[in-house]
Amino acid sequence: MATNKTPIKVGFAGALTTVKTELPEGEPVPWDADSKLVHVGKKVPRIDGHLKVSGKAKYTYDIHLPGMLWAAVLRCPHPAAKVVSVDVGPALKEPGVKAAIALAKAGDTLKFAGQDVAAVAAERPDQAHAALAAIAVKYKKLGYSVDVVSAAHPKAPVVHEGAVGERRTEGHVGEGGGGTLQGNVRPLPPSVRGDVDKAMAKAKPELTHAAVYTVPVQTHSALETHGLLVRWDGADRMTVWASTQSIFSVRDEMAATFGLDKDKVRVVTEFLGGGFGAKFGASAPGSGLGYIAGELAKQAKAPVKLMCTRADEHVCTGNRPDAIQQVKLAAKGKALLAIDVTSHGTAGVGTGAGVGRNAFGIYTKCPNVRVTSYDVFTNGGPGTAMRAPGHPQGAFAIELALDELAAKMGVDPLELRIDHDEHPLRVKQFERGGETFGWARKRAESAKMRAGNARIRHGYGVAASLWGDFGRASAAVATVSVKPNATIEVKNGVQDIGTGIVTVLAQVAAEVFRRPLSTVTVKYGDSEFGPSVGSGGSQTTSSVTPAIRNAAEQAKTQLTARAAELLGVGSAEEVTWDDEGTAHGGGKSMTFAQVCKKIEGEAIVATASRARTYGTAPMAFPGAPLPQIAGVQFAEVTVDTWTGVVRVPHVLALHDCGRIMNELTVRSQINGGVILGTSYALMEQRVMDNDFGRMLNPNLDCYKILGAEDTPAIDIELFDVYTGANSTGAAGIGEPATIPTAAAIACAVFDAIGAPVRSLPLTPNRVLAALGAYEAKEPPLPDHLRA
Amino acid sequence: MYACGPMSDRTTLTRRGLFRGVSTAAILTGCVNKSNETGTQTPGVDDASAPGEIGPDAASVRFTLNGKPAEAKVEPRTTLLDALRIDLHTTGAKLVCDRGSCGACTVLVDGMQRNACMTLAHDVAGREVTTVEGLASGGELSALQKAFVEHDALQCGFCTSGMLVSCAGLLRRTKGQTLTERDVKAAIAGNICRCGTYPHIVAAVLDAAESKGA
Repeated sequence: MATNKTPIKVGFAGALTTVKTELPEGEPVPWDADSKLVHVGKKVPRIDGHLKVSGKAKYTYDIHLPGMLWAAVLRCPHPAAKVVSVDVGPALKEPGVKAAIALAKAGDTLKFAGQDVAAVAAERPDQAHAALAAIAVKYKKLGYSVDVVSAAHPKAPVVHEGAVGERRTEGHVGEGGGGTLQGNVRPLPPSVRGDVDKAMAKAKPELTHAAVYTVPVQTHSALETHGLLVRWDGADRMTVWASTQSIFSVRDEMAATFGLDKDKVRVVTEFLGGGFGAKFGASAPGSGLGYIAGELAKQAKAPVKLMCTRADEHVCTGNRPDAIQQVKLAAKGKALLAIDVTSHGTAGVGTGAGVGRNAFGIYTKCPNVRVTSYDVFTNGGPGTAMRAPGHPQGAFAIELALDELAAKMGVDPLELRIDHDEHPLRVKQFERGGETFGWARKRAESAKMRAGNARIRHGYGVAASLWGDFGRASAAVATVSVKPNATIEVKNGVQDIGTGIVTVLAQVAAEVFRRPLSTVTVKYGDSEFGPSVGSGGSQTTSSVTPAIRNAAEQAKTQLTARAAELLGVGSAEEVTWDDEGTAHGGGKSMTFAQVCKKIEGEAIVATASRARTYGTAPMAFPGAPLPQIAGVQFAEVTVDTWTGVVRVPHVLALHDCGRIMNELTVRSQINGGVILGTSYALMEQRVMDNDFGRMLNPNLDCYKILGAEDTPAIDIELFDVYTGANSTGAAGIGEPATIPTAAAIACAVFDAIGAPVRSLPLTPNRVLAALGAYEAKEPPLPDHLRA
Repeated sequence: MYACGPMSDRTTLTRRGLFRGVSTAAILTGCVNKSNETGTQTPGVDDASAPGEIGPDAASVRFTLNGKPAEAKVEPRTTLLDALRIDLHTTGAKLVCDRGSCGACTVLVDGMQRNACMTLAHDVAGREVTTVEGLASGGELSALQKAFVEHDALQCGFCTSGMLVSCAGLLRRTKGQTLTERDVKAAIAGNICRCGTYPHIVAAVLDAAESKGA
């Protein structure tokens, strides 16, 4: 056990230092740069892989219970309407229908196309969907706006009368709240450093840059839609299978919704088909799924499964808000003088359209910074946390604007970034990436192609990422048991969203006992297995693995005491375990199996949680005592200047995620971040029809998602960082890996064609417009949005 | 800029709604007749074993599922995917887009990849259907499945069944040929993954193709 002021070696290769840390009571000495680990950090195939490749993995969508019914939800077809009447009676006469409920009543105001109106449960899903047509609803249509520019106009129909309710989840970290609502516009708390106005006033006009950058609404589009299956186990108890990235948030919501004891709601999520930030709670952000399934099950006296349709998934289960960002920059010589970002974005009827910390928190040598975001309420489905909320939006605008300013300054964009970043590892990533990528040589080539007016141009861009290690203390409680048959059982109610956390938990336990991974089993995905965190904020690994390690260390202490008795030595201190898991003491030895066989009772069991974060190496997150996670991505594009088509042949991603827990799965996550970002850069956008106020592409053929043939070759360089922040040193990677991709691609397009494309996605028409082939269609920013 | 034009109360037209509205039997017999007339086999319609007229109530359909005889009593409008998942409790194939654009429901019908969400159950009468559950033999994972695990070619796993079936189809079609990265990418061009597994899938398939000496 650690004592006060324990020396820990922290930092990263080439920049290691020893810090003396006061560890919380009972905390084992954290794994640091000197720890030699045999399981953790290795490329370990996921232990549940065989279930996923054989079709045996049962997702919520796959669970079938005897007598189970299927639910379907009737959704409002109008962007804004007053309900005149709802009659679900006729639906009850439809084939197979066992229950029908109204979710809106006469007089209710519905605020987006897709809002809940009524629901039915039937024996088969097609019966349930067919029966919706029998529900009679009368609406009185109201005025609406579905885009930011219209909604922000002082005369626009007001979406929310009075105060706006915030829906915040574990996916939102460190932001929130808002100022007074004016019309549909509400300011979010600004981030300010220095005096931007003064600096701008002093700047030479030729060293300033001002432009507007826009990004579209992106939908999460997890392949398994939101959904749950509710079975009442008596009047005051239920079991819920949910496609959720936060089991305990589902439990809490169902308990509150139905007035049940939390202990009487069991939630199971053994597998889930993706979440990306939208799957917190029993309900979706824009649909009361938990209530609907639970109430239908109650009325029909049968288990009810409610899975959203693909269209539902696009319109009412959350999205990444759009943004119109006005960026103003000023420089003096080769130094950045001021960064001023004003953003208006919409999370539909929901909150949280800010643009993240990129502009404020990365190029911190810039003395004057101001980032002001506004939520603009529209009659659209609510936005919610999506993989690094706000950050890809913010990264796109600030990084492309920086490149435009760099061109005016006559400075290399990579050098500009290196010169203004204070994070030691990110600077190293910039430098190292520049070498690996061949930045200087390639930028010279692209300049030559531009000058030669080549049809197919290559371009190269770079952008940065920041995130925090938001690991939570006490939230996860892990149980580790050592059994007489020499197996180890790890128990925690965490869900595996697809990152491979379950495998990492097994690795951590195997590491503590120095036992083969095959002797470890993990019980997870069930609220009965002990409290845990939601998979949001890239905090799961950092929150849960320390709890597992701490419990395993305590179990090992007990086992050591038993070994001391068996070996006949006076105290546990005299027992040492070797790398084979054999105990030595008093000149005698016992194998792990021999010691375990003598365990008294069923098992040695220990339970522990994660301590508070107690380190910030190599650098703290802006404004918080936790480690900052660094990343840099380089992108290569080709642009066909005749057709405007952009392709991305190559991305180099350099990332840190604290201690790498499993090199195989961390590479998968980074691939995923890069692919999501490339998709955001090139293809994805929710298209709203202004004439009808609905989404025009709520499917997967018109809502484009990057496929295998459009995916770049992705090279990944990993940097082990020893944060000294928790007992395993794990941080997170899911979100940081997607932040800079679209920005780097947009910068590369600017390099290729010499003209910036300031709107995502980078579609051929926009590229051709930037090339001057025809007038851009985007109208100028109206006065009412000007900063 | 305010869009306050007329709006419609019409419910959205869906494929199933269409089948329900029009006589499904007419659609089916129409297909069968056409296939007989032209003498060519319409994909997905078995002219030998499909009855002349079925529906609108549920009727039995028999086919081979993963090497074993299977029978489901389903309405003519029921998709193969619903029959597999709801009636036969074979849940490997997933419903994701419900309109043939994502590949998560890919199965092999007589060895060819098909979107089970776009195939009516009665259209596979007498045919051989293989789902992801049929790729392993005797409880032993295939080389392809093992390669998926070793290369971490899966994350959440929801696209994995369809990906594997598409790739198994590729390996069967190209036995003895050397595969390139482009071949694999083309084979999964119709399969969408949201987690970003494509690079590892390509590596896994190339590895499996090599190890099998294909």
